[in-house]
Amino acid sequence: MSERIAYPGNFAGSMFTYALFVFIFSRVWAGAYAGTTEIAGYTMSMAVWYFIIAEIPSFGFGRFFWTLSRDMKSGQVAYLLARPYDFIWYNFAEKLGGSLIEAGIILVEGLAVGFALIGLPPAIASQYPVGFASFALETARLGFLIVSLLLAGALNYFLQMAIAMTAFWLEENEAFYWIFQKFALVVGTLIPIEFLPEKAARIAVWTPFPYLSYAPARIAVAFSLAEAWSLVARQALWVVLALALAKVVFASGSRRLSVNGG
Amino acid sequence: MIHPDRLSLTARPLGRLKAYARFMAAAFLVNVKATLEYRVNFILQFFGMMLNNAAFAAFWKVLLNRVGTVGGYGFSDVMLVWALVSSSFGLAHIVFGNVRQLGRIIMEGSLDVYLLQPKDVWLNVLASKTIVSAWGDFAYGYIVLAMMTGTELERLALFTALIIPGALIFAATFAAADSLAFFIGNATAVSSALTEFMLSFSLYPEGVYGAGLRWMLYSIVPSGFVAFLPLRVFRALDWRLVPVLYLIAGVYVMLSYRLFNFGLKRYESGNRMDARV
Repeated sequence: MSERIAYPGNFAGSMFTYALFVFIFSRVWAGAYAGTTEIAGYTMSMAVWYFIIAEIPSFGFGRFFWTLSRDMKSGQVAYLLARPYDFIWYNFAEKLGGSLIEAGIILVEGLAVGFALIGLPPAIASQYPVGFASFALETARLGFLIVSLLLAGALNYFLQMAIAMTAFWLEENEAFYWIFQKFALVVGTLIPIEFLPEKAARIAVWTPFPYLSYAPARIAVAFSLAEAWSLVARQALWVVLALALAKVVFASGSRRLSVNGG
Repeated sequence: MIHPDRLSLTARPLGRLKAYARFMAAAFLVNVKATLEYRVNFILQFFGMMLNNAAFAAFWKVLLNRVGTVGGYGFSDVMLVWALVSSSFGLAHIVFGNVRQLGRIIMEGSLDVYLLQPKDVWLNVLASKTIVSAWGDFAYGYIVLAMMTGTELERLALFTALIIPGALIFAATFAAADSLAFFIGNATAVSSALTEFMLSFSLYPEGVYGAGLRWMLYSIVPSGFVAFLPLRVFRALDWRLVPVLYLIAGVYVMLSYRLFNFGLKRYESGNRMDARV
């Protein structure tokens, strides 16, 4: 983490792009909602806030692949493999640790930009308009949102790790990452999955993509305790599956590694 | 000693124009050869660009199926604007591939190698490189065009006539931002911000931006001239506005050229030993 704090300037570009994206999409949504107040169960405020939250994993946790893949290809991986700790978990601590700061900054920036553009996040539909019960629900929403973002980070890491480790077989493995990234973009990042045609949405929930950005964004804009539990549980399940996938790829890939000199 | 006026683009216009056309053609051919040398890389980059564009096309398809139009654009408008911007942007980086490196070259004091050659420095620097992935962008526009409006010859000709001034405006604007390196040293932040602005604003419907932003889109971030106006011309098949776009492109090129040459007077060499290979 402290490594990232040392060079704050490096991250300014991402922060700028994120703000620009949020601004443009807030305009696109304003255009889309010009003749209607609701699309697929989302109001305009929900759609803009959805985008603000859904982009956080892309900006905060979207680039593990590049550093992991570079380490594999440059042979840097050899130093880590010889050490007495788990390769996947070591990288997990290092890469995710660093990106948490960035995701946190993007979250704060998103809240500020969103507030300036469209006002407070959509209120939680509740039979208790004010008082303790609604305060408890707000706290629960924030708690679930943070847990869901962390799970999205972990899922992003394990999936990207599995893709990066294809470098054990292929020198040019970027294409796999691009395909992964674009699916993640269309399925739940740019647009809520409720907007997709019914058939596509039904298939999408069985893939890991909605759990990379849809889950936290949905929790933020349409919170109910039951749905939040279900989303977080499915995210956790996918994290376990992705970890298992990464382990399998590592086990069969690392056998092929030959280290030349040192 | 060759007098600097003899090398200028504006002295003896016709003869120089011919010579520069030959020079640009030669630079272009060398760049094409360089691209083909790295075939796997080329195919990968090409594939990546297509995929990226396809993802956004999917987004628009889903959204516009729900709402019909956004900011006055339907699905075919959005696709055509992507086609125009993509091909113009691609063409700019195929022909003037060094445009994004210009700031770094100036900052590092690496212009010397171009200063010594008997061609206009600005043109020489910009045209001495090509960007591999730009071919993907360039081709994408034509693929979308074929899918949206068919391969009717007049539309194809009009599309091509529109992306040339678009490419010139892209290159001139990016070069101008990078030329700021003469005055402020590190212009990376300004030029990457301008690139982001120009691309992002160009790819979304003009109607979603308020009046306060519009003036900017027809001046310092000229998305209007590479995207919105060409789309209107293309839609109406109105050739009369095409020369106007070339005139506007000429103004942008001239301003960018002037800014570079004004800055060049302040240039200090980094005394680096560079070789162009």
